Amino acid sequence: MALFSRKRTVHSMTIREKRDFHAFVGFTAPTFILLGIFILWPIFYSFYLSLFKWNMISPKKTFLGFQNYQDMFGDPVFWLVVKNTLLMAFFTVIVKMAISLYLATQLNKKVKGSSVYRAIIFSPTFTANVAIAMVWAWIFEPTFGLLRVVLKPLGFPMIDWIHSTSHSLPAVIIVLIWSGIGYDMVLFLAALKNISLEIYDAALVDGANTYQIFWRITFPLVSPTTFFLLITGFINVLKAFDIVRIMTEGGPLNSSNVVVHFLYQNAFQWFRTGYASALALILFVFIMFITLIQNRLSKRWVHY
Amino acid sequence: MQNNPIATHRFSKIVSTIATHGILLAATIIIGMPFVWMLITAIKSPQEVSIFPPIWWPKVVRWDNFVTAWNTAPFGRFYINSIITAGAGVLLGLITSAFAAYAFARIRFKYRDFFFLLMLAAMMIPGQIALIPNYVILAKLKWINTYQGIVVPHIANVFGAFLLRQYFMTIPDSLYDAAEIDGLGHMKIMLHVALPLSKPVLGTLLLYLFIQKWNAYLWPLIVTSKQNMRTLPVGLAMIRSAEYAIGPEHLMAASIFVLVPVLIIYFLAQKQLIEGIATGAVKG
Amino acid sequence: MKKKRVGVVLAIVMVLCLSTGLWAAGQVEQAKPEGPIKIIYWRSLTGVAGEAQEEIVKRFNASRSDIIVESQFQGAYAEILQKLQAGLAAGDVPDLVLLDSPHLQIFAKEGVLVNLDAFVAKEPKNFLQDYIPGLLADSYYSKNLYALPALRSTPLLYINEDMLAEAGLPRRAPATWDEFREYCKKLTKVNANGEPIQYGVGFTMGATTAHWYFQGAVYAFDGKISDENFGVHLTEAPAVAAAKLWQDMVFKDKSAVPSTSHDDLFNKKVAMVFGSTGSMGNVMNRATFKVLPAFIPGQVRNGVPVGGAVIAMPSTDKWRQWAAWEFMKFFTGTDSQAYLAEKTGYMPNSTSASKHPDLVKYYAANPHWKVAIDQLQFVQPQASVISLPKGTEILRQMVEKLLIANMDVNTVMAETKADLEKEYNENFK
Repeated sequence: MALFSRKRTVHSMTIREKRDFHAFVGFTAPTFILLGIFILWPIFYSFYLSLFKWNMISPKKTFLGFQNYQDMFGDPVFWLVVKNTLLMAFFTVIVKMAISLYLATQLNKKVKGSSVYRAIIFSPTFTANVAIAMVWAWIFEPTFGLLRVVLKPLGFPMIDWIHSTSHSLPAVIIVLIWSGIGYDMVLFLAALKNISLEIYDAALVDGANTYQIFWRITFPLVSPTTFFLLITGFINVLKAFDIVRIMTEGGPLNSSNVVVHFLYQNAFQWFRTGYASALALILFVFIMFITLIQNRLSKRWVHY
Repeated sequence: MQNNPIATHRFSKIVSTIATHGILLAATIIIGMPFVWMLITAIKSPQEVSIFPPIWWPKVVRWDNFVTAWNTAPFGRFYINSIITAGAGVLLGLITSAFAAYAFARIRFKYRDFFFLLMLAAMMIPGQIALIPNYVILAKLKWINTYQGIVVPHIANVFGAFLLRQYFMTIPDSLYDAAEIDGLGHMKIMLHVALPLSKPVLGTLLLYLFIQKWNAYLWPLIVTSKQNMRTLPVGLAMIRSAEYAIGPEHLMAASIFVLVPVLIIYFLAQKQLIEGIATGAVKG
Repeated sequence: MKKKRVGVVLAIVMVLCLSTGLWAAGQVEQAKPEGPIKIIYWRSLTGVAGEAQEEIVKRFNASRSDIIVESQFQGAYAEILQKLQAGLAAGDVPDLVLLDSPHLQIFAKEGVLVNLDAFVAKEPKNFLQDYIPGLLADSYYSKNLYALPALRSTPLLYINEDMLAEAGLPRRAPATWDEFREYCKKLTKVNANGEPIQYGVGFTMGATTAHWYFQGAVYAFDGKISDENFGVHLTEAPAVAAAKLWQDMVFKDKSAVPSTSHDDLFNKKVAMVFGSTGSMGNVMNRATFKVLPAFIPGQVRNGVPVGGAVIAMPSTDKWRQWAAWEFMKFFTGTDSQAYLAEKTGYMPNSTSASKHPDLVKYYAANPHWKVAIDQLQFVQPQASVISLPKGTEILRQMVEKLLIANMDVNTVMAETKADLEKEYNENFK
């Protein structure tokens, strides 16, 4: 067959190439056109808008140059928002991954009913953030909230999570951890299943204890997954909006405000389109930066 | 017992199994509790909602809370909007990504790899930065408050194209070649060879995309201003933002409206979804 | 093979149908109505106040064959503001909109509302005289009329009457803020661990309402937040005194708590909340105890900021404007206003409505509800800074700084003044 087709290519190469070219263009065009309009073009347009003062209604845009960026970098609220976003990303990702790796090792022991455990722990991954935020706001209610049932016997005072500048961000982080554990756990579990049992057996024969086995075998061998989850998890939290919007609206006093929510407020509540576009661009640059680091590091660090 | 190593081993194994169950059960309860609490709250009376310590089951189950919640806003309309936008989004997303995936998997072209990388690069760009420009584009097209406004900006699905391409490439060349000898063009090969053999992954992708679009909040929030165009999550958020008139029991009942379809899909196709995520995402 | 081809064709046809169907469904809104003129009215408010508006729309539609009003709920006032701005950007606006009164200025200034003077000119001469002047005043922008008073309200204090009795307090509202503070102390209860289980008052932190009640307090201390020329008076003695009082109640007396919704009243977590007269219907319906609606306390004097909504016309089409005006007259007319006042607790907007026999009868039977009209005599316009795009947000943050962050009062007031002045200079002037 190979011979047959090779003989014919001499003759019909250009026709075939042409046909392939047309098919390729036709097949990929919808995707590329859509990506071009709704993903690529917006980057340039955001940059353009970030140079103006514009309220979206008025036909007039006032050119400001880089004033929006100057205002942003001089705005303490911006820095608070950046700090909140990074804190949220850091704590959410670290805690969520630690818990989910631990749960994955437990699930990997294949006890009876593990598929039921897995299914329930994974379920928040697929449930609407809006509904999740609603029920958690109710759980955090200081007087009648479910959380008080747990915290009261432990000697905690009544905490008004949502109305406290020190507790609103942790409240959001708790919800993000809760809703993210399942996803990480399933990926860790997949990674654990790829580790051959012989390695464990060998370690057991050598007299290694559980602790040593975890740190010397399991942890290094799941490192590609760890790295993947670390980066994607971090980026996902940088983009968080729904839960913040519903639970705290970024308040009180911006104590739980994060970049995308702040962007939303500026663009669609206070109609500062230029400033919001500048924010969007900073977010873009930052995420691209992390992605680049990921590409660099994943080649070196991780143990594929 | 200490003198008998086998018994010790067995004993410690039982202990460790119990411990494992204990840990997993605790995690399951913590994760599952908010859902349970949502349901319990939704069937309480207003008086039973505001008691501390809370009661775990109402004296009289108030199913009528669901009726009241349903009537606080046009939830029927929200359902239709969600089904149409999520359904159309998934369908169009699958079609475009299947074409792209096939092109990248099977069609020979000099700059194919370059375009593939270009597409993957687009996946890295956070959609949030496009909010304002997309809003302006849609406003110019007069697509605010339309289904196409909700759907079209999010059709292109790079992840889906990537996943399908990987799958198309695992189909043995001999099958493609046989079709080619039969004189089939790329379109027919895709429709008759690649897609039918990819049913499992298409199914998973379909469910996954549907759930994702069903739950979407930020974009539909921005692009709809009329009540009759709102999707479920936006409608749900809206009834809470009103300052009064709706108590926690009704809010929880309304939240359940949003969750139910997804929970049904999830528990029917749970294994497929979880495994789809595990394998798909690791590769991605 | 053939069967398969049929399947493919079918699939393609289905996709085409679906997409054109989608298209059509999206386009329907734009189609121009034939026969009766169909106009869109964007309303706010849920619960009783929402239902009562629907009823007015229904009555109007029943009375007219040439106009059909479709009312669409848009969320709280802040959301209407947002949605209308979005709609303007998209060139897709309703014919009528219920606007939180300070928002009127923003849109009138942008030139997106219809100047109503021409419509008034065609009405009988005394058309505007029936409206209560205090309620009509903020419908003007640079001396032109842009709206009619629709659902006007003032802040009220809603008191759990059972708790008053329980605390040994007289069954009447506190007359001054000093007395209010004493009430709150007595209404606060702690459990054995010293944890508060009941507070005197919940101070509303709502995005669009936090500033309103505070304005009431400042008026009572004979001050103001800002004047017509956007001069900010927050650093002056009356505003500082009001702020100090609120802060001390939260942090010194521990008799007040920040609150986001009236649930805290219904849950019996607090004995009193502030609320709009327009919430009366809802409060009375949901409370499982006796509620005493009362004036906002006075101090040096009595004074309350008028709030609630006006109805304005962003319509761009001549005939639809005509139809919209017809509905505006109906909505703000005597019968509708008497009905709305009776159902919701909003204030009747005209002399004739407040003397409407139905309403008079209703107030005689339910004396509590009369508080809304009685408070009319103390009504004052809201602070001008509320009209700034970020004005309510800056004032909300001020209340948060005072009652949540416990920051020094003078610092907070100075910061807020600076923020408001900056906002005015950069985004309004």
